[in-house]
Amino acid sequence: MPAAQSADILRRLAAGEVEFIVVGMTAGVLHGAPVSTFDLDIVHRRTAENIDRLLRVLAALDAVYRKDPRNLRPTASYLASPGHQLLRTSLGDLDCLGTIDDNKSYEDLLPRTIELALADGHKLRVLELAALIEAKERAARPKDLAALPYLRATLDEIRRRS
Amino acid sequence: MSRETPDADPDRPAEPDIDDQGIDRAQIRDMLALTPEERLKRLEGFVTGILEIRALNAGRAIR
Repeated sequence: MPAAQSADILRRLAAGEVEFIVVGMTAGVLHGAPVSTFDLDIVHRRTAENIDRLLRVLAALDAVYRKDPRNLRPTASYLASPGHQLLRTSLGDLDCLGTIDDNKSYEDLLPRTIELALADGHKLRVLELAALIEAKERAARPKDLAALPYLRATLDEIRRRS
Repeated sequence: MSRETPDADPDRPAEPDIDDQGIDRAQIRDMLALTPEERLKRLEGFVTGILEIRALNAGRAIR
């Protein structure tokens, strides 16, 4: 399993004008949480135009379903669904999630995101740390519960600074 | 005659800043001092290093 070159994947998506939100523990890392993860999870906007832009970037990254021995490629109809598309790309694994946290879509999550700048000037939308914590509390799987103390302590440090 | 306290030793390592949940707050402050992109790069470097060790030791039973 290659390590995901997360920053490069995100830069490609942003350069391709894909509308997406970084969620999961990569969002936690972007906020400053000292955690590690092998997952790069995004929630993409499921409009036809955005799915076309996403498919172009995924094709350039040679994306295939990572659990499928036939190396199937993602299609517009799958990316339009609320389900999770677990992909392997030339830059590492990427999960394109139609919805998360009890069927919340891109539009549902958008009010609770912040915009972060990359060094090359591109912008990323990332789920707010407080919203990420709430989602992890609701999911309450062992891996979520294990991460929560780190996420809460990071939010506490950020609030002390502001 | 004064007794030297541990705090008076300039070579003494700084105490870790561990909170009551066992979280090292200094690690968080280190991360917050970076840009978001630098934070991702730090994660990638860490994960890449771990995967390299795993690849070198693939197939070996680790007890």
